[in-house]
Amino acid sequence: MKYFESFTFILAWIAAILFAATGAMLTYEVIMRYFFISPTIWAAELSQLCLIWGSLIAMAWALRWGRHIAVDAVAVLLPVHVRRQTDAVAMIVVALFSVVLVWKGGLIFWDSFERGRTTATMLDLPAWIGELSVPFGFAILAVQAVIEVIATLRGQRDANREAHME
Amino acid sequence: MTVLLILITLFSLLLIRVPVAFALGGLGLALLLLGGFSPLMAPQAVLSTLDGFILLAVPLFLLMSNILLKGGVGKDLFGAVHAWVGHWPGGLAVATILSCGIFAAISGSSVATAATIGTVAIPEMISRGYEKRFVYGLLAAGGTLGILIPPSIPMIVYGFVTEESVIALFLAGIGPGIALIVLFVVFSMVHARFWGGQAMEPASGWEERKRASLRALPSLALALLIIGGIYSGAFTPTEAGAIGFAAALFITVFVLRSLSWKGFKEAVFHSMATTVAILLIIAGAKIFGKAITLYRIPQDISMFISGAIDTPLIFILVISAILLAMGLVFETLSMVLIMTPVLLPAALAMGLDPIWFGIYMVVMVECALITPPVGLNLYVIQSVARSSLGDVSRGVLPFLGLMLLIVVIMYIWPELVLYIPFKM
Repeated sequence: MKYFESFTFILAWIAAILFAATGAMLTYEVIMRYFFISPTIWAAELSQLCLIWGSLIAMAWALRWGRHIAVDAVAVLLPVHVRRQTDAVAMIVVALFSVVLVWKGGLIFWDSFERGRTTATMLDLPAWIGELSVPFGFAILAVQAVIEVIATLRGQRDANREAHME
Repeated sequence: MTVLLILITLFSLLLIRVPVAFALGGLGLALLLLGGFSPLMAPQAVLSTLDGFILLAVPLFLLMSNILLKGGVGKDLFGAVHAWVGHWPGGLAVATILSCGIFAAISGSSVATAATIGTVAIPEMISRGYEKRFVYGLLAAGGTLGILIPPSIPMIVYGFVTEESVIALFLAGIGPGIALIVLFVVFSMVHARFWGGQAMEPASGWEERKRASLRALPSLALALLIIGGIYSGAFTPTEAGAIGFAAALFITVFVLRSLSWKGFKEAVFHSMATTVAILLIIAGAKIFGKAITLYRIPQDISMFISGAIDTPLIFILVISAILLAMGLVFETLSMVLIMTPVLLPAALAMGLDPIWFGIYMVVMVECALITPPVGLNLYVIQSVARSSLGDVSRGVLPFLGLMLLIVVIMYIWPELVLYIPFKM
């Protein structure tokens, strides 16, 4: 469990770096287009890949630390032992959803991979590069959700998690 | 009947604290499966959401405002504005509102605005004898300007789900944003005149004004660059975010020399956490939106509404009441994402403009940000000021009234919203 926590933390940092990288790429793109009239063909497309992968690989970390947005208003009124159960049910919902997404998202990835489908854009990248992020990200999320179910029932998550949002 | 069942299931999932993203996505997926539609649509919706170029603006604007926050730009901005208006009646309050307005132009988020200006302004105001509740209310409400004055993350999200122009939305926010600033400023001055207890301050000298303004100049220039760039069509909102991020780094690292390596890392990591939370809700909402459209639910609701309500005025009154009630427990984006697909078709049928409706939604969402028990700006101010939620909530009431007044003005005079994007 400890290793898995470090693993998701590293993924979260990779996501943070990917997002910052999109800023660098798109700034470069605007400068090249404006001042040198030579727009890149890769900046927009690679930025989008960064956004897809970044968002999906950091989901599990966000679940562990309660950083996904949730409605806390009612749940905080429940007694602790009831809330453990409702929280566990909530995490089971996340786990089930994730499993279906791994499975169906995996089909989309595999289909593109086998047929060698490409993105039909400037770079003409293989489509599976982006699509792989769905089964990958949701597989890690599914594992995290199962860990949360167990930890919640054992009372290891009683400290009230705050929802953080902008 | 189906509508009721879906709503009950959704609210039950949300109330047992299934994260909003997965409650929407999970219910959408279940509906696809039950209705015999292909569940492949679920991963497809996730991919197509995250593939949207416009949504790249979300992490970039967050990076920009978090870097400015860590770089302590709030203090310079507040100092400069204060040097100019500090001697007015209620001068500190006026300076606070104006600083919120200016920071809103370089930030897409209300929380960042409330936190940036609040950290500086709250201790200042309390130490000069302003009434506590008024101060808290002022900052919580002033922070909401962050999403009404462009750039604005809720507007990006609204534009994404409705396929309306984000640029038009940004420009449409300027009019009501300025009007709200004026209302807040007038209220602050009236409050100081009749209920204030704070001492009047002497006017700052020209030397002081010049010094403070120079220090704030880079942030002001950045605000102009972002709005000017978008307005003139020089760059898209996403590119504006990227340029803003780069410029924020340049300003805080080279010009002001106020950003530490630690501050930079915190800003990058914090932006990631918020981005992931926001984008996944959008992806979840997309799955949900697909499913309910296949069940023809928005159409049914629209039919129901147009059957029961025959004037736009009553429509707006009714949904305002619903949105205010929802705003008590929901936070901003979930509200925009759940309600827009349901309400927009009805709004269009009533002859309301989709851009106008977007700005209306943003103002209602601003109200949600400051209505207890769940209102993010209340939490921010509460933690910055280390006070009770009750004090902050009571302080917010008059400002809530002013925000609803803006809705009334927008309704009577839609040009306030639509003039800048379409007639200028």
